[in-house]
Amino acid sequence: MPVARNQSRTVSAAAFLAPFMLLFIAFLLAPLIYAFYTSLFINRFGQPIFVGFRNYVNAFQDTAFWSSVVNVIRYAVLQGVIMIALSLILALVLDTKYARWKPFFRLVYFLPYAVPGVFASIMWGFLYSKPLDPFLQAMHFDPLSASALLYSIINIATWEWAGYNMTLYAASLTGISTDLYEAAIVDGCNEFQLAWYIKLPLLRPTILMTVILSFIGSMQLFNEPFLLSALTPISQTFTPNMDIYAMAFNLTNLPYAATLAVLLGAITIFISACVMVIARIIGRRSRERGASVIPSEEALTL
Amino acid sequence: MSSSFSPQTARDSRARQASSAPSSFVRHLVAVVVMAFLIVAAIYFLIPVVWLLIASTKTQVELQSSGIFSLPRHLELVQNIHLLFAYNSGVFARWFLNSIVYSGSVAILTCLVSAMAGYALAKFEFRGREVLFYIILASMMIPGTVATIPLFVIEQPLHLVNTYLGVILPLIASPFGVYFLRIYIRDVVPNEMLEAAKVDGAQERTIFWRIVLPVIRPAMVTLLLISFIGTWNNFFLPLVLLHNQSLYPLPVGVDVLLSLIATPAADQSMPIYQLVITASLLSILPMIIGFILFRKQIVTGLTQGSVKL
Repeated sequence: MPVARNQSRTVSAAAFLAPFMLLFIAFLLAPLIYAFYTSLFINRFGQPIFVGFRNYVNAFQDTAFWSSVVNVIRYAVLQGVIMIALSLILALVLDTKYARWKPFFRLVYFLPYAVPGVFASIMWGFLYSKPLDPFLQAMHFDPLSASALLYSIINIATWEWAGYNMTLYAASLTGISTDLYEAAIVDGCNEFQLAWYIKLPLLRPTILMTVILSFIGSMQLFNEPFLLSALTPISQTFTPNMDIYAMAFNLTNLPYAATLAVLLGAITIFISACVMVIARIIGRRSRERGASVIPSEEALTL
Repeated sequence: MSSSFSPQTARDSRARQASSAPSSFVRHLVAVVVMAFLIVAAIYFLIPVVWLLIASTKTQVELQSSGIFSLPRHLELVQNIHLLFAYNSGVFARWFLNSIVYSGSVAILTCLVSAMAGYALAKFEFRGREVLFYIILASMMIPGTVATIPLFVIEQPLHLVNTYLGVILPLIASPFGVYFLRIYIRDVVPNEMLEAAKVDGAQERTIFWRIVLPVIRPAMVTLLLISFIGTWNNFFLPLVLLHNQSLYPLPVGVDVLLSLIATPAADQSMPIYQLVITASLLSILPMIIGFILFRKQIVTGLTQGSVKL
């Protein structure tokens, strides 16, 4: 715990904090406050006019924006479920005694983390392109068509982030005491039961965290569709962030872009908070019912 | 725990295990299925990168006429690289250099600024310390792009739009960095060491440089790598803040190249596909090599930072 608490110590603390706090306030807090402030104005002939919450009233009737929000939520849920299931399966399978060459597989699965999203989109975009891919031509399937696009983007994002999440799960698994495993094996657990009844419940906090982080990231979906729009026509309101970007820079309507950005941030934080509260309630209820499948250490000790 | 086993229970459990153990045939079958699954997954994660490697060795004509994974008759990689560096009087080299400047300076400054703030939050007592720490923690939950568009407006009067500093400064303010180093310094730097230095009359500045920084070096390396990768991969922030091609980092520059594909010039005068493919390869190669070399440090940081969240 802290060493001393006199006047000069406080001054030193302030000096050490100053560079970060200045940058934090200037480039993170100020833009957030400014986004809200500017959303209360409209631009008329270059003159800002205060209109209160009129931009928000307009935004609530903006069907293009809300359909982009619905679209991105659908994407976030589908992508989240697929990716987290894949990451979990990879982490759990790699953790069994049947898996060999573990360091090699861990490295390969995690590799896309080092590949920028822009280049992941370009590589998959070209693999999706019919002129370059005779296989797709033969299959009569176009991943870049309007109906398949969402799923093609889900694939890109899953490719990019599954290994990252797997790495987090793998790290949590190595933190689990091996005594617990030995005891379970002595009790006749096979590898599948070990994964299902012991490892999975122990991973719960990590899973919840990755669900939230992945949801926040997914709601900001921009790079992949923005890049792919060079290869196939994609609506500027495909995702809220594309809508906001176009509003700010193509239509130069900054106050309205800020309004939509504030709304998107609020929706994202609201849903994340709901997920956390629900997870906590479910966790408490299953513990109260004694339905928790993790046996206590004592119960396992013979 | 295993040491507390009595011989009796050990024998019991061995007998139970033997009775419920699957036959060796089943066990072999499971092992084969598991390995097949792991190999298929590995192929999935490698396919785009392998394709990129192969495609970068083909000419544009060959790319469109041969199968996507068929090997080229003649390696064209060197010619493709020449084409890329000749494009628009070598603007690609500029983008590459810019990416190094952005990522390098953000990584170094983030480490320094975060270490200072982390040290203050870990080892000094002052009013509002916990509140401040929770504000920093909470700001990690805010979607990053929400602040980016207003950032553009705020940077205009400061003359930071379209400058190197305009991209570097916002990225230095890393709540994750402060959070990560605060935890590390609190757990790893011994108070006795700081006390002893104080008794010897060392100044705060000296203590920070001579004692704190050397002790937290492993965490600094991790943060350096993570923020280097994060900046190298960042697309949205430089896209919004820069509109001068010669200041672009690689992702934004290559996006400009890609957007030429839809234009009529693409097929006739310029091998756009080859330029984009070769540029992509050269952009991700240093990251992949660095990643393989430093994987351990990166993993430690990511998992320490997130597991405790």
